[in-house]
Amino acid sequence: MKAADFSYHEAVNLQDAIKIKAQDDEAVILAGGQSLLPALNMRLSSPTCLIDISKISGLNEIKIDGQTLFIGALATHSDVMNNKTVKDNMPCMIDILKMVAHPAIRNKGTHGGSIAYGDPAAELPALAVATNAEIIVSGQNGERSINAKEFYLGLFETAINQDEIVVGIKYPLLKQGQKIVFDEVCRRHGDYAMAGLIANVMGSKNDIKDLKLVFFATGDKPDVADKTARLYLDNGYDYDKLKNSLSSEIDFAGDLNSSSEMKLHLATVLIKKVLSKLEN
Amino acid sequence: MDDIKVNQNPKLGSLDRPNSYIGRSLPRENAKKHLDGGGQFVDDLTLPRMVHVAFLRSPFAHAEIKSINTNDAKKSDGVVDVFTAKEIDEVCKPWIGTLGHLGEMRSPEQTPLAKKIARWQGEPVAVVIADSRAQAEDALELIEVDWAEKEAQVDMETALDSNAVVIHPELGNNLFWTRTVNQGDVEKAFKEADAVVEATLDFARHTGVTLESRGIVADWNKAENKMTIYHNGQAPHMMQHIIAKHLDLNEGLVRIVSRDVGGSFGIKVHVYPDEMAVTAISKKIGRPVKFIADRLESFTTDIHARCHKISGKLGVDKNGKILAMEIDDLSGIGPFSMYPRTSAIETNQVLNLSGAPYVIPNYKAVGTVVFQNKTPMCQYRAVGHPIAVAITEALIDKAAYKIDMDIDKIRKINFIPDNAYPNKCPSGVPLEDLSHEASMDKLLEIMDIKEIEVQKEEDLKKGVLTGHGVISMCEVTNPSPLFYGVGGAHISSQDGASIRLEGSGAIHLSSSITEQGQGTEAIMKQIAADQLGVKMESVRVTLGDTDATPYGGGTWASRGAGIGGEAVLKAARKLKDNILNIAAAIMQTDKDTLDIEDNNVIRKNGGEGISLQKLAETVYYRGHELPKGTNAELLATASFLIEGIPFVFTNSAMGCQVSIDQDTGIIKINKFWAVEDCGTQINPKLVEEQIRGGVIQGIGGALFEECVYDDQGNMQNATMADYLVPMAYEMPDIIVDHVTTNSGRSIIGAKGAGEAGTGGAPAVIMNAVNNALKQVNAEVVSQPITPEKILKALGKIQ
Amino acid sequence: MAANNSVNISFTVNGERFNNVNVPSRQHLADYLRSQGFTGTHLGCEQGACGACTIEMDGKAVRSCLVLASQANGTNLKTVEGFDDEMMEKVKQNFLKHNAFQCGFCSPGMLMTTKEILLNKKKLTRDEIRSEISGNYCRCTGYQSIVDAIEECINEIN
Repeated sequence: MKAADFSYHEAVNLQDAIKIKAQDDEAVILAGGQSLLPALNMRLSSPTCLIDISKISGLNEIKIDGQTLFIGALATHSDVMNNKTVKDNMPCMIDILKMVAHPAIRNKGTHGGSIAYGDPAAELPALAVATNAEIIVSGQNGERSINAKEFYLGLFETAINQDEIVVGIKYPLLKQGQKIVFDEVCRRHGDYAMAGLIANVMGSKNDIKDLKLVFFATGDKPDVADKTARLYLDNGYDYDKLKNSLSSEIDFAGDLNSSSEMKLHLATVLIKKVLSKLEN
Repeated sequence: MDDIKVNQNPKLGSLDRPNSYIGRSLPRENAKKHLDGGGQFVDDLTLPRMVHVAFLRSPFAHAEIKSINTNDAKKSDGVVDVFTAKEIDEVCKPWIGTLGHLGEMRSPEQTPLAKKIARWQGEPVAVVIADSRAQAEDALELIEVDWAEKEAQVDMETALDSNAVVIHPELGNNLFWTRTVNQGDVEKAFKEADAVVEATLDFARHTGVTLESRGIVADWNKAENKMTIYHNGQAPHMMQHIIAKHLDLNEGLVRIVSRDVGGSFGIKVHVYPDEMAVTAISKKIGRPVKFIADRLESFTTDIHARCHKISGKLGVDKNGKILAMEIDDLSGIGPFSMYPRTSAIETNQVLNLSGAPYVIPNYKAVGTVVFQNKTPMCQYRAVGHPIAVAITEALIDKAAYKIDMDIDKIRKINFIPDNAYPNKCPSGVPLEDLSHEASMDKLLEIMDIKEIEVQKEEDLKKGVLTGHGVISMCEVTNPSPLFYGVGGAHISSQDGASIRLEGSGAIHLSSSITEQGQGTEAIMKQIAADQLGVKMESVRVTLGDTDATPYGGGTWASRGAGIGGEAVLKAARKLKDNILNIAAAIMQTDKDTLDIEDNNVIRKNGGEGISLQKLAETVYYRGHELPKGTNAELLATASFLIEGIPFVFTNSAMGCQVSIDQDTGIIKINKFWAVEDCGTQINPKLVEEQIRGGVIQGIGGALFEECVYDDQGNMQNATMADYLVPMAYEMPDIIVDHVTTNSGRSIIGAKGAGEAGTGGAPAVIMNAVNNALKQVNAEVVSQPITPEKILKALGKIQ
Repeated sequence: MAANNSVNISFTVNGERFNNVNVPSRQHLADYLRSQGFTGTHLGCEQGACGACTIEMDGKAVRSCLVLASQANGTNLKTVEGFDDEMMEKVKQNFLKHNAFQCGFCSPGMLMTTKEILLNKKKLTRDEIRSEISGNYCRCTGYQSIVDAIEECINEIN
């Protein structure tokens, strides 16, 4: 399992990286490398050129930006998990990241890398969608912001252009009474989930005023279930009704560990599991 | 940790003398190098002019190879050459994986590289030899193969149907081997039974996933006509014979060196076509050749194991006494039987060992083994035991439930009593020195079943399903020649030890047993130092080198302590006797008044002795000082062999408690207990760790591991992310306890302990899961017991 | 076929300086280190899943099979051969005492993970220890003895 040959370019700054990426559509970005290198080692991916952006300074900032929490693309998962600003403003992100792989992977894997790669079983893309985050990308025509919901188009397919690189993500700060709760079902700790749910809740356990349900590992991208959320708000937890609603809203796709029918079932019970984590 | 077992074995001498090491949980000082990065694994070796290989492997389960064009590949950067079967066959003769002692066995000739037809996904078809593995892989992409895909036989249940794809037309059908065991009259007994229960269980194919993959460096030295092989295998002398035979070399000039091995569990005891190709390449090009299987090719080329569908029937009287047991087992192997141990052994053990702890006067067992176009299959830790124990113990639980008897009580009344040995198991295989009653009693004592049953009722009220199970089993260890040698295999059942006192006073020991991390070196040291009367640190050990060790069988079937250890014991005693003879001559006294303690010959009644160093100096440097005719011999060798019975069995009792999440189907193992009787324990800590490691491996097969195939015979989950091995978070702590019944077959009395954990865990887990599911009228019959299967059993999904 | 690309880099391994060495672009760090004789770092999967290749890069545990050798430019690396400070010697003594290894193949990665656990100085439960080592595959021990050893290390530190 030795990678095929490629040329390696350590980008000196963002413009440098953008320029090369624009010119060569077989060039790929190397940030943390935790998803790219397995693909290279297994020769699932044979790019001609790797653009290493990991040494570009200034892309790993974590700060409050207006009414948002800004996570720079090159912030590693460990950076985020150990960051006071994140702990004070969005502690759920830290709890979610505990589910991602294992410590050594988290020391290298980047926030932007996970968002840009868009693995359907990954937690961060679902969190971005659930919180209505904005994904900031930079390209030849400058910077633009793409709403998370519009960012994920299909299986490993995002709205980013060939010349663009993710530089950061802006998560709206949680309002008073707003909570993010989540859970996932996986075979082994750190594995990709068989099904996962991130719920954006306004209200408390017995008095939910607004609810957004975003499932992951259920299809080819984060799956938003607005109809089912409204059904829950109207009727509370009714397994059969919610299951029916989910099956009409989400195109469940089975994988090695769970069939589409099992994912539908897990998604339904996840609503109960996740919302029971709310406090009164 | 410093744990002296007082009731171990009086034949070994008093436990309170200095140098009493047998029975103590001493740390493995010799293994500390692994913590310093000092291991010497095959991939760590570099030799001058060494080249690397990568194999082109069939992407199809079954395909004709119409042509192979290697021209472009040969021109690729760093490539030395590219071979197909044509070049390899010039140097290496084919083999057949059959033996003569198990009835008719049919398997065709197999060559290192496929010739005209590839018969399993992963079968090597061509090989690139290059300066680096990366460059070899580059060249693989340039090899053009004209494939004609054929229909594949990938379902063992249809392999004998009239419209099956017959993999070897010359054999007529896909039957590799079949055997029937028939004791008594099961039909009559079932008619007389008050209750009859049945079960059909299936077990998924899975594999060993040794962390260090298979590897070999073959070094043909033309000048010396000598082949040196660095190999992470378990049985160096067996490989020595086979490589010499198939490469037409002088066996005495083939040297196999096995240094550190990163786990084996039986995976590395077989003969692999790609490894044989490597030896042939070295012979052909006259350079050292290295092959390390990467993880992807390990999944599709390491032997697989344990694919069985077994139906069983048990008849009991109204008191729970077993009258009859019948099993019918189907297993699917690869397109060839593995060489040289054959792919029949796993099924043979299922037939031999089902029902083994119990008195079952009427027993019938039919085993059928069929070819498939899948990865070849062969022995993997606890060969056959997981299936034999699972079907037996599942049937016994079912009988207990049917007649409303406690699961422990029904077992106890059916055990072969502890005082009734020698005896035979239901299939007729001889048994001796076992303790099922005492072991089960011990298990129940440490499990506190009453407490568990109370907890279970409380849990059910809260909607939580918990369950528990207890099982008993026998483990095959310390095999005699009746296992392989009798059938024509050049696999030694006799092992040897050689021990010497050197001029410096140091002790050197060599043994034909090998080390893969279980602690072979440590226990050999403990035995030698204990029996000789020297400090542990004065003994150094050589293992794993056919040039430098006695001839023997290596490590497999849990034979190291019992067979190799006995040879060490005998050799150490011989050397001690020799030393005392010399000392008596030097000290002008009777041998019986002397002993050896802490590296000194001492007078039992006090007075001046002589250090081993001074004695050795006299012998080697100043032999003229010894009385004429002393015949000073400071080197002793001894061997040991099991005679008169096919195996030395051990027994275990295991228990576990599980809970099942009814929403997600996830099973949690809350508690696990194992009581092991392996006779004398040389190092109790190492025995415990074998049990623990074995149990976890069994849990893998019970809950997580399976090789998933599509209907074209392609393995779907052949990566480390997709094939689920047990990782730390999901695994329980395991409480281990012991009963000790020494083997009467040796002085040391040690039996094997390496495989019981893996043999028993799948059975007890399945029983505990079904004990939990019974509360909601559900059951599972298939391993691995995945969340999906639980949800289906609970009716949550279809 | 692309030409054999290489990159010129400098870094240290266990305090030993590598100045202006050429590394193949495509070679991962584990392979590069092993080619330089640091064979204590092991390959188990080249996918990041087994943890056998885990080393220390600028004070953090990383999977060396998922880092390109070229990315080591300007970094300080520590492999198992360099785990010889007082804390790690105590760790090794505990591993030895509890037989927290059998074949030794997973040990370098396990030791690196243990080092990071101890440097974080938290008092972990056995379950939490299991969670921390859940990315290191061991086929031999069944993990319990490793948890025992790490638990003892944590108790000694706290």
